Amino acid sequence: MKKVRIGSGSAYWGDLLDPAVELVKKGNIKYIGFDHLAELTMAILQRIKTKDPTKGYIPDIIPWMKAILPDCAEKGIIPVSNAGGANPEAAGDEVVKLAKEMGLTGVKVGVVVGDDVFGKLDEMRAKGIKFKNLDTGEEDIDRIKDRIVAANAYVGADSIVDALKEGANVIVTGRASDNALYVGPLMHEFGWEFKEKYYDLIGAAITVGHIIECAECCTGGMSNMWKIAPRLWDIGFPIAEVSENGEAVISKIPGSGGVINEWTIKEHLIYEIHDPSNYLMPDGIADFTALKLEETGKDQVKVTNMRGKQRPSDLKLCIGYRDGYIGEGQVFFPWPDAFEKAKKAEETVRERLKKVKLDADEIRIDFIGVNTLHGEVAPEPTCELNEVGLRVVAKTKTKAEADKVRREVTHLWTLGAVGSSFGVPLPIRPVVSLWPTLIPREEIPTRAIIKEVK
Amino acid sequence: MKKVRLKDLAYARSGDKGDVSDIGLMAFNKENYEIIRREVTPERVKKHFKGMVKGDVKVYEMPNIECLEVVLYNALGGGATRTLRLDQTGKSMGQALLWMEVEVD
Repeated sequence: MKKVRIGSGSAYWGDLLDPAVELVKKGNIKYIGFDHLAELTMAILQRIKTKDPTKGYIPDIIPWMKAILPDCAEKGIIPVSNAGGANPEAAGDEVVKLAKEMGLTGVKVGVVVGDDVFGKLDEMRAKGIKFKNLDTGEEDIDRIKDRIVAANAYVGADSIVDALKEGANVIVTGRASDNALYVGPLMHEFGWEFKEKYYDLIGAAITVGHIIECAECCTGGMSNMWKIAPRLWDIGFPIAEVSENGEAVISKIPGSGGVINEWTIKEHLIYEIHDPSNYLMPDGIADFTALKLEETGKDQVKVTNMRGKQRPSDLKLCIGYRDGYIGEGQVFFPWPDAFEKAKKAEETVRERLKKVKLDADEIRIDFIGVNTLHGEVAPEPTCELNEVGLRVVAKTKTKAEADKVRREVTHLWTLGAVGSSFGVPLPIRPVVSLWPTLIPREEIPTRAIIKEVK
Repeated sequence: MKKVRLKDLAYARSGDKGDVSDIGLMAFNKENYEIIRREVTPERVKKHFKGMVKGDVKVYEMPNIECLEVVLYNALGGGATRTLRLDQTGKSMGQALLWMEVEVD
């Protein structure tokens, strides 16, 4: 039976590089997926592109490709990356330039475009498309239309498959869903199409993609297995060996750090999925409630009985818009009476913020070491704490208001109790809020552009 | 009736999609799965999180792998890009759920 080995090389912008290089050198893989995008990333990249139309992609793609392209070319491994971000064509051009410098003549770079509708929103609204907010239920984007900074649809595998059919050796996409980076190569290799007889198989590809797409997050990173996961500094990224019948074995390079067992796979199966019997992706709807897991060896788990349904008629569209500023400050208090000192400082800063008439949409005050992470769920401390921090943060409409927060927290250095310690002031951050919505699939035609290294 | 914390029955891991916090609970064994299936109801979860969850709570069952998916709406201060939470993406929400007390036979 035909089998395809696909690795995961990145979970986010800034992830480790060496485990990806190790996968390329020793993983005996045919494909390696690189996800670099998150909800906020597209807005950051769009802003960079506005300033410089030749930028707006994830700059990591250059050092990453430099590190792996010669081995990929020699072994026939195809990297599939969404590092194109807000400017996939520019990223593709840079990869072509790099490949040429490295003497890799003949390499074909497939660039997938079409997800970016930033410049088309007015046209779409004129056609009557509404962009109802999935989180708040608001019907239309009128309120935010002058502040929009990015609008990208999460597109599927269609054009990745097209690029592979045309012989691409490297794929660079814009906001392709993380998942499509894995579904595309599997559909291409096995000849699966968006037809009913393949729904379960595409469901399997979606499930496998979901398990491995966050790289180290299924091999002992971010894990309940943290106590037993060995040598996390040498962590191995995952490999899925997928069979034509839709079964898969998840493993990593023998001897690499981290761990794969039933729990690390479950941890990622349940990760950010909402309804487990309807995991909506652009290429299909996976059902995780019938699959079976089996540990078949050291750091090896077999996944069988995966299920899927027809792909949704709408795609998810994420619209980013400017939404004010966040000002923040932190100050720390030592034993004795660390918590009491922090409480006294809380009262002082609240009164100071009133006195300077802070105009904030929202203010939050946390006691670091007590309730910063668990908020209202956190129990009162039952022992004497050696140190407690106070974190004051507010969201404002203007930068000047946000700066008041920073200044007033700084004053706690001297207004606070004896021993209060102050780090480095935190910069004011501009906020980009997201407006999640749906858009009919036919409104987002994608295509693959092939650029050959000559 | 004996009470224990969820920490003694299951692992948890959480993440986000916008303002929605998704918590996966992984029972240590079949017996524990039956307990958490019975005890971890939307009402009790919402009460456990006090004011932190502004919207609905949904609980989905995955009997095949003895897990529950607990979905908390309007729970992350508006979502990662605009929240005032230090834990912008709600990675600690799953661990917060492990504080919850449940009855075991």
